Amino acid sequence: MMRNEYSILPFTFKRLPHRKMLMVNQSGEFIFVSSNDFNDLLNNDLSAGSPTYFELKGKHFLADTDLDIAQEMVATQLRSRKSFLRHFSSLHMIVVTARCNFICDYCHASSAALEQQRVDMNWKVAKKTVDLIFSSPSPVLKIEFQGGEPLLNWPIIKEIFHYGTFLNRFAKRQLEFVICTNLTLLTEEMIDFIKEHKIAISTSLDGPKLIQDLHRKTREGYSGYDVFHSNLQRLRERIGHDGASALLTITKTNLSKLQEVIDHYVELGFDGVFLRALNPYGFARQNMEQLGYSVEAFVSEYKNILQYLIELNLQGIPFAEYYTTLLLQRIFTPFSTGFVDLQSPSGAAISGVIYDYNGEVYPTDEARMLARTGDKHFRMGHVLRNNYEEVFGGSLVKELVKKSCIEVLPGCASCVYQAYCGVDPIRNYVETKDIVGHRPSSDFCKKNTMILDHLFQLIDENDPDVIDVFWSWITRRPLEEIRHDKFSRNSP
Amino acid sequence: MINIEKIQNRQPFITETEAGVFLVKLKKEFYEQEAVMQASYKFTNTCFIKIDAMEEGYVGIWFKAKLELHVDPELLLCEFCNEVLDQQVRLDLEKRYGTIRDSIYQFAFAPIKDRIEDLDG
Ligand code: SF4
Repeated sequence: MMRNEYSILPFTFKRLPHRKMLMVNQSGEFIFVSSNDFNDLLNNDLSAGSPTYFELKGKHFLADTDLDIAQEMVATQLRSRKSFLRHFSSLHMIVVTARCNFICDYCHASSAALEQQRVDMNWKVAKKTVDLIFSSPSPVLKIEFQGGEPLLNWPIIKEIFHYGTFLNRFAKRQLEFVICTNLTLLTEEMIDFIKEHKIAISTSLDGPKLIQDLHRKTREGYSGYDVFHSNLQRLRERIGHDGASALLTITKTNLSKLQEVIDHYVELGFDGVFLRALNPYGFARQNMEQLGYSVEAFVSEYKNILQYLIELNLQGIPFAEYYTTLLLQRIFTPFSTGFVDLQSPSGAAISGVIYDYNGEVYPTDEARMLARTGDKHFRMGHVLRNNYEEVFGGSLVKELVKKSCIEVLPGCASCVYQAYCGVDPIRNYVETKDIVGHRPSSDFCKKNTMILDHLFQLIDENDPDVIDVFWSWITRRPLEEIRHDKFSRNSP
Repeated sequence: MINIEKIQNRQPFITETEAGVFLVKLKKEFYEQEAVMQASYKFTNTCFIKIDAMEEGYVGIWFKAKLELHVDPELLLCEFCNEVLDQQVRLDLEKRYGTIRDSIYQFAFAPIKDRIEDLDG
């Protein structure tokens, strides 16, 4: 029998139930084929006229007369996927104080009592931090104020803002500021400043009052939720509804009540949520018994809530799940999402970096929390003692990059989800004392595998309602618009 | 419940060498060392694994399930055999791609100037 002449382009694959295969190529394009077609493809027996042949060719899994063009197409898409590398060190988180008026069960490793002002960032450290930030080559610079509770050191936030804005008159970067705050200390003067300078606000919301107050406790014993709620309204009245976004931390307490949590988010007028599993860092690690849950439990609730969110959207309530959206963007588009946990090499240090109040620099907040518990393995340098090259070009950053390329990591190298997944070297280190980590026992790997398995099952089922909701999340457009466009495309 | 008899009767490529220790014997003619290593790596969470040479032309992979995990050896070792096969398919494919993967990466990460020259011929 004469064999067909075609070249196979690089791809990874996974066997699915019902004799189906999922194939993903280097640029992240995917296709489902039957195992018969898969075998024919490998044996060069795939008929050149078959629909599968055309689809495989169109999605760059094989090439016949056009190998050079196909390679260039895949390379161009791969280049877009890796475009975050051109924004080297763009996210700069500054811990302006380690003090906090809260003692949350899952993060108080890094929070100090209100009277301990020695853990506030001073002007000398702050100025050097901003100088270091402006040494970054990135055209986009995002400065995020964190804590503790950053509003406790409000004067330094203003100083950093003014100095950064001054330097940017010459540096001409796209400069953005975000304050991550529990909102409870917000004054009118702060709101004026935030409004005048268009500073974004990121806050925390774990659910309705009872849930929010359970693990997010104030040091003085009052209900943090009540103050949060009234200040959120006050802030929105002045800066508009979209000025504040919220982050959800999922503990054992709210995991089984996620529907109630989502309803509360909707009630408060948020248009999405990030379903973030609790990570094993800092004190959260020691409190795992009380706060933690298995990956299986998390993914089971994730599936339920995803279904619930799809239904909400279909009922006309636009509300997105952001982790799913990031994964779907990676699955359906060739664009870089800029989310540090889903990057290869890892975004730790090369995309985002955190400056502690005392001037120490760490690749991620988790690395900083690890240092707070005594392990300074990931300390990149100090703003008063090291220059940009020493902090970002040192052996630690090189090691982080070298050992976090998913394409060559044991287990990931042959994984079908490689193009969509990422690497968390800090978490690997926490779990195995090795940056490379151990995929077969990694919860990060298990969670991403289970979530991606589920998403690909939904994509394969191809329910038009579900796919339309997914596209409305990816493109941030109303569902009606997506449907209208589809209808117009399909009409004669 | 583990049914050793069933394993021995139905899966002749799997033998129990001593209580709780199972051997999978593979022909080197069909499976390369890399495929065996990569497939074995995936099972290191559930089993203790030893890989060793056997009689001429064979490699042996010994498995001892980690006690706390209560895995069914039959299912696990059948999955292992499929995994080695898939890993070998990946290696065979790698050989067929030849230098295609490298040229894609080179092109993707070449400075813009080189790419424009490439496109202009
Ligand atoms: S972490 Fe796991 S799911 Fe992600 S690419 Fe690696 S092996 Fe695949």
